[in-house]
Amino acid sequence: MKEIIRITLGLTVSCLIAALVMGSVFIVTDKAKRHNEHVNVQNAMLGLLGYTEAHPAPSDLRLYTVYRYIIEDGDVRTLGYMVPVTGNEAVRYQLVVMDLDGQFVDRFKLDITPEKAQEAVERASALKAVLKPPRTFVYSDSTIIARLGKKRLAYLLPGKFPGFKTFIQVILAIDPSFEIIGLEIMEHEEDPGLGAEIKQDYFKNQFKGKSFEKIKNINVTKEPLPKEYKRYLEAGKGDGTPLPKGVVDTIRSKYQDRDIYALTGATISSKAVTDGVKNIIKKFAYRMNRLDSLISEQHIPVAF
Amino acid sequence: MPATTKTNFQLFTNGILNENPIFRLALSMCPAVGISTTVMNGIMLGIAVLFVQVFSSCTISLIKNYIHPRIRIPTYTLTIATWVTVIDLVLAAFLPAAYKEMGIFVKLIVAFAIITMRLEIFACKNSVTSSFWDGVGMGLGFMFGMMAIGFVRELLGMGTILGHDVLGFRPLLFFVLPAAGFFCVGIMMAMFNYVELVYNRKKRAEKR
Repeated sequence: MKEIIRITLGLTVSCLIAALVMGSVFIVTDKAKRHNEHVNVQNAMLGLLGYTEAHPAPSDLRLYTVYRYIIEDGDVRTLGYMVPVTGNEAVRYQLVVMDLDGQFVDRFKLDITPEKAQEAVERASALKAVLKPPRTFVYSDSTIIARLGKKRLAYLLPGKFPGFKTFIQVILAIDPSFEIIGLEIMEHEEDPGLGAEIKQDYFKNQFKGKSFEKIKNINVTKEPLPKEYKRYLEAGKGDGTPLPKGVVDTIRSKYQDRDIYALTGATISSKAVTDGVKNIIKKFAYRMNRLDSLISEQHIPVAF
Repeated sequence: MPATTKTNFQLFTNGILNENPIFRLALSMCPAVGISTTVMNGIMLGIAVLFVQVFSSCTISLIKNYIHPRIRIPTYTLTIATWVTVIDLVLAAFLPAAYKEMGIFVKLIVAFAIITMRLEIFACKNSVTSSFWDGVGMGLGFMFGMMAIGFVRELLGMGTILGHDVLGFRPLLFFVLPAAGFFCVGIMMAMFNYVELVYNRKKRAEKR
């Protein structure tokens, strides 16, 4: 009996000490870690739009985030979009509610700034203030809309889909006509040397410039990647002589409407990314068209 | 088992050659087979294991007198898990560039047999200094093993070394696949054993 008590006590104490150590380290590092992740995502987004350290973003580039929520009121399901709206002075959020057919339901002013809206907890408390029980809401996804001056520049879509092993997290940049500007793989656990090659330029750059029409029924092909196309895709790397301008244009137009060349030995990963991208864009285009028509119908002075 | 009589330098080289974790102790075969597809992976995982091994060894050797023998294994696991978490969080917070490369490797470590075994066999019976050197040796030995396997597999599987194209073609895609890991480890283990055999024979011949 004494033995059992000693063992229990020993285990409890060691667990407590371990918890204490991990907890305090977490408290110390959490803020910096989240900041790093945020910076990472931000840099990836700017990178997709073609802005790097050497070529920084212009000062009138604005990134607005639209958050999408699913609202349930008993059996009735509606969609809530948190959209940034230009007010008298600063940008504030409004909640636009539409039903599943895209018809306008309701509109609320939210007491939340764009900075605060980045925190899920802050958003939830702002939404709770307008959506009284028994209505419940669940966060679905968010879209970042880049605006340059008076022009809508691009949509940035963070997305997640199953890969060969676990989920692949990406950010997609598409222009207002839903043509792909770029694809960035943020997190994945594909096999090194095989599926992990999705991170390489010669794979992910194949998506660049694919039109919405092409994306709708894009597929992967198991043909080997042509040498000239590979050179074109890896042009951004900076090694080797750059391709002459005329050649770049011919190669681009030649391969623009081709399917995605699958990675050798990683057809499943290649297919997963291709299908994932296709799904994200198809769904987004459908939703964005509805939201846009609702915004113009209701004359909402959105910021984007 | 009494405390070790080896000098620190002997402990250090012990982990790399005589008791190389992969080729001699045959511990931690999962990563040796699964992740050793490139030299870079080997280096990354090696560094991660080195740190966790050294920290865990020192911790256990510090608190060895307070561990109840019945719950030593849970304590080891807890210690390793704590160090892995701490290293993961600290890297993510203060060295984001390194974390980007190392992150996935650090999280893998908790389940590695090599670290638990070194704590059980060595750290819980020896002084902190000895444990430190044993940890360094084992960590480096593991890194060396991973790099050696990674070198062969990367060269034969993808025709590259550290990502640089050296062959210009891919000789055998098979070597990138997990199954090839077994072949590489097996053949290298046989080589190690053969060298030992020859060495011992020579020694015996000299004695006569």
